Amino acid sequence: MEAIAIKALTKKYKDFTAVDALDLTIGKGELFGLLGVNGAGKTTTIKMLSCLSKPTSGKAEVMGFDIVEKSDEVKKVISISTQETAVAPNLTVRENLEFIAKVYGIENPKAAADKIIAEFSLQEKENSRTKTLSGGWQRKVSIAMALITSPQVLFLDEPTLGLDVLARRELWKVIEQLKSKMTIILTTHYLEEAEALCDRIAIMTHGKLRAVGTADELMKLAGKDNFEDAFVEIAERSGN
Amino acid sequence: MRIKAFAERNIKELLRDPLSYLFCLGFPVVMLVLMTIINKSIPPQAGMTVFRIDNLCAGITVFGLTFLMLFAALLTSKDRTSSFLMRLYASPMTAVDFIAGYYIPLIILAVIQCVITFGVSFVIAVIEGVSLNVGNILLAIVTLIPSIIMFIGFGLFFGGMFSQNAAPGLCSAIISAASILGGIWMDVDAIGGAIETICKVLPFYHSVNAARCAVDGNVGDGVTSILIVSAYMVVVTVLAIVVFRKNMSSDNK
Repeated sequence: MEAIAIKALTKKYKDFTAVDALDLTIGKGELFGLLGVNGAGKTTTIKMLSCLSKPTSGKAEVMGFDIVEKSDEVKKVISISTQETAVAPNLTVRENLEFIAKVYGIENPKAAADKIIAEFSLQEKENSRTKTLSGGWQRKVSIAMALITSPQVLFLDEPTLGLDVLARRELWKVIEQLKSKMTIILTTHYLEEAEALCDRIAIMTHGKLRAVGTADELMKLAGKDNFEDAFVEIAERSGN
Repeated sequence: MRIKAFAERNIKELLRDPLSYLFCLGFPVVMLVLMTIINKSIPPQAGMTVFRIDNLCAGITVFGLTFLMLFAALLTSKDRTSSFLMRLYASPMTAVDFIAGYYIPLIILAVIQCVITFGVSFVIAVIEGVSLNVGNILLAIVTLIPSIIMFIGFGLFFGGMFSQNAAPGLCSAIISAASILGGIWMDVDAIGGAIETICKVLPFYHSVNAARCAVDGNVGDGVTSILIVSAYMVVVTVLAIVVFRKNMSSDNK
């Protein structure tokens, strides 16, 4: 079954078209990558799918719920981890987790926090205020906050942006562990990240979808033997 | 549940910022003590009673509330600048949850602040041999409720409209206006002219006047002031809600 079904989804800001007639389906349990250069429309797409922004035209459904007409239902089944770390800085790691659990009406927020703290190995920092943590730890907490609600669809918007190589690899492990447990839509600038993690990848430029497939399929389509060359070829073909 | 969770989070954010203690609770107390000392050095022949504790306590309490506006603005503008609110906008939280979650902890903090400021005023009054009635003080706190909601509304409005850098600056302008035009340090009625008119058009004089009338045991004399502040409270609260609802959609950024 489809987790996300998008038909001719368009977002315009005055004369600028950020997303242009996007058609896409993403299956349940899929880890789907949205790849593109700056201004490609990745974040705008995520914002529309997570009900933060209304489409100008077109339709999209998340877990069968229309993102405009049933946005309240959509919000119950999704979770988002934004580009920047989205934590309450003066709250401890545990307090942040329990707070989000309460917002989503989880019956036993403490037990939910215990579970996610164990899963993410956050024990040594659970009583530290998040503003005192390093960027890598904060991002890890931010993703843990997105997961404590057990979402059916998780949006990860450039989750490793600004992290060092070690912190990035650490997060990759976390994301890999989530595979097939939920549908994940990952946007990233890092080509190797998309290639390593994603089941399928969509390449967007200028708000338009240029190609969709596995990393191997995209390399084949572009006639290249490495993913970076394939991405450049597909992006340049579209006049980027 | 969601309102309670968000209110708890906000109260923790506020109380874990030492500036909250310093300005919201400590600064009015320091001002009370300082002004009482100044009052002592004013010769009785001058006939100046504005710094006497029974006149001063209402004004200083309102002055303290203006700092709460600053903290409301800082809290909301910081939340907006970080991605924290975006995460919550994509959650099941509604506009009502957000607004109530911001207002409730700030109202609690404001009432505590009023109790402390009037409490210290009472102690000073006893030391100075000035009569202050506890019942009238409690009544004064009640008359300040529209002012509390109005100042928090100002804070949420500025925090919702402007950046983390701009919002505190605008709040400082309101703090100055409230301080100068609110009749905290001067007898507005004795000034007359255009200044008096400006003071009486703005809500700050009326906030102070309503509480002052209650402290004096003449709460009835402050009813017009309470009504004027209440009208401002409604307008500012509506504006704060409109701005907040607008911010909930990233289309408006």
